[in-house]
Amino acid sequence: MTERSSKASTGRSSETSVDPITLTVIWNTLMSIAEELGTTLRNTAFSEGVREGDDFATALFDSNGRLIAQGNFSPGHLGSMPACAKHAIEYFPAETLRPGDSILLNDSFMCSGHFPDCFQVMPVFLDGGLIGYVACSAHQVDMGGAAPGSQKVHGVTESFQEGLRILPVRFVRNGEIDEDILRLILGNVRMPDKVRGDLLAQHTANLSAASRLQQLFRDHGADTVAQAYDIILDRSELAMRTALAAVPAGTYSFEDYLDDYGPDTEPIKMAVDITFDGIGAVEVDFSRSSDAVPAAINSYINYTRAYAIFAIKVFCDALQPQTEGNMRPITVTAREGSFFNPRFPAPSGGRAVLQVRIFDAINGAIAQALPHRAMGAFSHWSNPNIGGIDDRTGRPFVMYDLSLAGYGGRQGKDGTEALSPVMNCSNIPVEVHETHNPIRVHRLEFIPDTGGAGKWRGGCGLRKDIELLNSTAVLSHLGDRHRFQPYGLFGGQPGALGETLLNPAGNAQPLHSKGMYDLKQGDIVSFRLSGAGGFGPVGERDPDAVAEDLTDGYISVAGAREDYGWEPGPD
Amino acid sequence: MIRVAFDIGGTFTDFVLHDDGGGGSRVEVGAASYFLKVPSTPQDPGQAVMAGLESLFALAGIEAGMIDSVLHATTVATNAVLERKGAATGLITTEGFRDVLIIGRQKRYETYDLYIDKPEPLVPRRHIVEVVERIGFDGTVVTPLDEASADRAIDALRAAGLRTVAVSLLHAYANPAHERAIRARIQARAPELSVSLSSEVAPKIREYERTNTTVANAYIRPIVAHYISQLEDALRQQGFARELFVMQSSGGLVSPGIAKAYPVRIIESGPAAGVLMGGIVGKSEGREHVITFDMGGTTAKLGAVDGGTPAIMPTFEIDHVRYKKGSGLPINAPAVELLEIGAGGGSIARLEMGMITVGPDSAGADPGPICYGRGGTLATITDANVVLGYIDPTWFNAGTMELDKDAAARGIMEQIGEPLDLDLGAAAWGIHLVATMNMENALRIVSVEQGRDPRRYAMIAFGGAGPLHAARLARAVGIPSVIVPYGAGVGSAIGLLQAAPRIDVSTTRVMRLDQDSGPAIASLYSELEARARKDIEQFGVAAAPRWSRYGYMRYAGQGFEVQVDLPDGAIGDDFGARAITAFNEAYLKKHKFLDPEARIEAVDWTLVATLPSGHEDAPMARGPISTMASGLASDRSGRDSTRPAWFPEAGGYVETRIIDRQALAGDTEVTGPAIVEDPDSTTVVLPGDVARISAAGHLIIEVAQENRA
Repeated sequence: MTERSSKASTGRSSETSVDPITLTVIWNTLMSIAEELGTTLRNTAFSEGVREGDDFATALFDSNGRLIAQGNFSPGHLGSMPACAKHAIEYFPAETLRPGDSILLNDSFMCSGHFPDCFQVMPVFLDGGLIGYVACSAHQVDMGGAAPGSQKVHGVTESFQEGLRILPVRFVRNGEIDEDILRLILGNVRMPDKVRGDLLAQHTANLSAASRLQQLFRDHGADTVAQAYDIILDRSELAMRTALAAVPAGTYSFEDYLDDYGPDTEPIKMAVDITFDGIGAVEVDFSRSSDAVPAAINSYINYTRAYAIFAIKVFCDALQPQTEGNMRPITVTAREGSFFNPRFPAPSGGRAVLQVRIFDAINGAIAQALPHRAMGAFSHWSNPNIGGIDDRTGRPFVMYDLSLAGYGGRQGKDGTEALSPVMNCSNIPVEVHETHNPIRVHRLEFIPDTGGAGKWRGGCGLRKDIELLNSTAVLSHLGDRHRFQPYGLFGGQPGALGETLLNPAGNAQPLHSKGMYDLKQGDIVSFRLSGAGGFGPVGERDPDAVAEDLTDGYISVAGAREDYGWEPGPD
Repeated sequence: MIRVAFDIGGTFTDFVLHDDGGGGSRVEVGAASYFLKVPSTPQDPGQAVMAGLESLFALAGIEAGMIDSVLHATTVATNAVLERKGAATGLITTEGFRDVLIIGRQKRYETYDLYIDKPEPLVPRRHIVEVVERIGFDGTVVTPLDEASADRAIDALRAAGLRTVAVSLLHAYANPAHERAIRARIQARAPELSVSLSSEVAPKIREYERTNTTVANAYIRPIVAHYISQLEDALRQQGFARELFVMQSSGGLVSPGIAKAYPVRIIESGPAAGVLMGGIVGKSEGREHVITFDMGGTTAKLGAVDGGTPAIMPTFEIDHVRYKKGSGLPINAPAVELLEIGAGGGSIARLEMGMITVGPDSAGADPGPICYGRGGTLATITDANVVLGYIDPTWFNAGTMELDKDAAARGIMEQIGEPLDLDLGAAAWGIHLVATMNMENALRIVSVEQGRDPRRYAMIAFGGAGPLHAARLARAVGIPSVIVPYGAGVGSAIGLLQAAPRIDVSTTRVMRLDQDSGPAIASLYSELEARARKDIEQFGVAAAPRWSRYGYMRYAGQGFEVQVDLPDGAIGDDFGARAITAFNEAYLKKHKFLDPEARIEAVDWTLVATLPSGHEDAPMARGPISTMASGLASDRSGRDSTRPAWFPEAGGYVETRIIDRQALAGDTEVTGPAIVEDPDSTTVVLPGDVARISAAGHLIIEVAQENRA
């Protein structure tokens, strides 16, 4: 649809060439292509992370590698896309690319910070000329290395123990997947069927997006589209600058601690200094944080940047379409060699556990500037893998699990119960887990009194008890907030600590939040997530809200007494 | 045979009376139809029904006692959920799993918004109680039901004063014994409680979705049962002595008894009738594949009919937030595939970052668009359509309402035109175009993403605004023809007339599909058939059912299943191989590739019994369309036969022919640009496209070859 307005626009020098209606059509189409790429990928993917957790991203780039549009999928991948495409193009400059090529890479530094995230960047040609790139990423179920899922934290001291590292390779040539490269990959991963299926799904999804991009260029002509791209980037930059300029100028700092990076290790300091310049730019600096650690939990700068940008967007400009333009005014830095900007080969497989904490840290700082937008800290999620050889089939199994609990209280309302924090995942149904894996879930329920008290209460922690039915298995645990409580804000109390217990009805042995454990048949692991932080003075909570919580069992009588001084009435 | 169908919508209740000229008929020769549209009475829907029936009988000159059957589509179940007006409900579940319903699936429907609320569960935590029991995924009893714990649970719910209870235990789809035992305890201890079991309402894997469906069933059961009973009584009082049928979300009819026991099956009753009508109209024009496009004041709904059969999905969502996928409550009950987006005549246009956006919020009917003159101040799609000349301000809803075109123009200029430096026509066109793009994106999801090739489909356009936008939308995705049905305004009721009684039963049985799967499949289908036959008995229809089977399958390891149309007939030893072939066809169609190395896994199995009604192919007779709305102007003399309307391909405003649909007849063909008007809708014919009236009375637009995407 190339309709022109009946009247030429005037003013605004750089924008005179594309009328507003054509611009609207082009931008809407770009966003629709990026969304459709993602739905295609989700519907055909094999890994739980992709299909249940939306642990993937999509992006469209212009022929210079500038990010033009993205689908609304995983923030961690989304924010890593621009850097990833630039690295791919460095290895394969435009003049070396041919129609039918596609580049594959998963390097932690170049991409989103750990090997399971595989990115495919496909150049798109029309009439022999390069018109741009389409790209998608997907969290593969395994990339080899020390433990199933390639996310083992403790005991992994360098990247080479984490599995297969893929620097940019021409994975597809003349439209054919390079079977040699594929064999090399599949020979190094657990569950090669699933990995193969997902690599193919990524390629297929890119193909459909490429053909729609070609159609867009045919409909409007390369010149018009190029001009529209400039406008899109400029306008999204301006919109972000306008939003940032509204935040009171100043430097806002916050410090919190990650429990540790394995049994018998020290806490990791997470310090952030955020400077709003008052005229439209922000700098987020993590340099005062701890040094990189010898465990697979370091946050490569792309990952740090991705979640910092996500947080800034949430507070300032949440629903705008993401482009390179609205990332321009946001600078994210961290001292080289620090936990948030490690050097290769720092290991990083388990860095997913940080996404909530990067957000929490920024939230803590921004609370000083935008108190009405801030919230108590999240309940910390857990992401354990239980894997082994299934006695029934002789084949490997990996139970990849996600436990997600409450949000912190915020101005005007209690924290939402049991909603995916920061990253955006679905849980995996108990019935599905039990059908596919030799485990049985005994409990999945809120833990009363764990939400931080406050005028607005934090959401509850969640308990999930899992029994191993197989003869043996290995648990790779990934959680946090067993030592440092999720903070409350403005008088709100912190949420209760989390803990993980082996055989809670027996000797109830505490398990470390990032430990690896051998399990035997009949063992029950009880995962108990922390509660979320409260908001506002406890004394200002509406007594009716306390009574309601009591009736619904979110707090106990003892908890109501202790936290709110509640006394039973004459009834 | 005389049959009456009526569909209660939010604004109007639509009636059709059809006399096929057969036994007991009033017509001497051939068939006759009467159409009637009356304003709905949302407080007491039955009021409009009774008033309408009386008028209808008067029109047709018959009495209630002469009617053979009454067919009904209703929004009573939907509204009970949307407005949270169901009964206070209790839930009994497995110990340790009290919070499944509140936890839900946990994903945000908006990734970048951390301030959203989850859908409010239909049962508060205080009314969820646990029993000691456990069943494994394969149906084995891990922990026997502790009856004392069941009694405690029942007493607690009774003490809370509840009247309706859902029972949803883990893996109950694999073994319903504990749920049934609990029902027996309830019947013994608290016979006043109405009980819904997950193993009967929605016996499929995934505990949250099954539990929510069962809870929804329990929640709306009292209100739906009461409503249907009242309707039955009222019909009886009028002298009607035969069977009443209710439309299900799946497009099939059920007996009142089943509708009362399983009201979740009728939630999408009205939209299902609309899609069915699309199929009927398509068939009468020789089109097996159609996309239905129903655009009203607030939303647009897209559905599909493939090969003459309405597309049915095994699950759907109700009570969305801003029409976002994942924001509503999931219901595990078959329903017509329907995509609803916030694009209706009242959808509001705005500027964001120098671009026009439209919807999803709507000015609705009150205050409505600016041109309604009821206090609306925000420019809407309808305002744009008036300014563009598509809608005649003096002839809106057949002249029942005068529209203020100047006010619409002022609003559009102030809100869109001046900030963007566009003149009036361009600004209004921008709104129209963006609205079309939003619908185009939805249409792509319904067509291309589902493996439907738009070039093989016709679009059936209805609803107040559907025919106006249809041709532009069809062009955008490459649909070659648009059909605006005769009687589009009472479309859903027409759909009811040709519906057949239908029972869907399904179960979960996760299995790897191979050459030897035949016997296992045969065994599960014989169980399903036994279940279906129990429901069929309620119909009191002697005809033998037609059986259809569907499997929901995927490659082992994937998380989303495709619907596979399994072969009919006896299930022999080769059925495994035939099922694999059927899977390959379905998968290839949807995803455009096959993975011969991957293993196939079947998850859910459905059996559909359709009872031939004998009316499936009955031709729809044309008849007078009446309305009880006052002030209907039918005299259109003195109106312009041309007016300026905006067609960008013709360079902007051009003097456009206005054609009265009644006047289009015979072999007359009209080449666009043109606007065809009838009392309840306006159809825009784009330049180069050709419109005509078919023998069946439908308006057909053939999109010019060069205009197809």
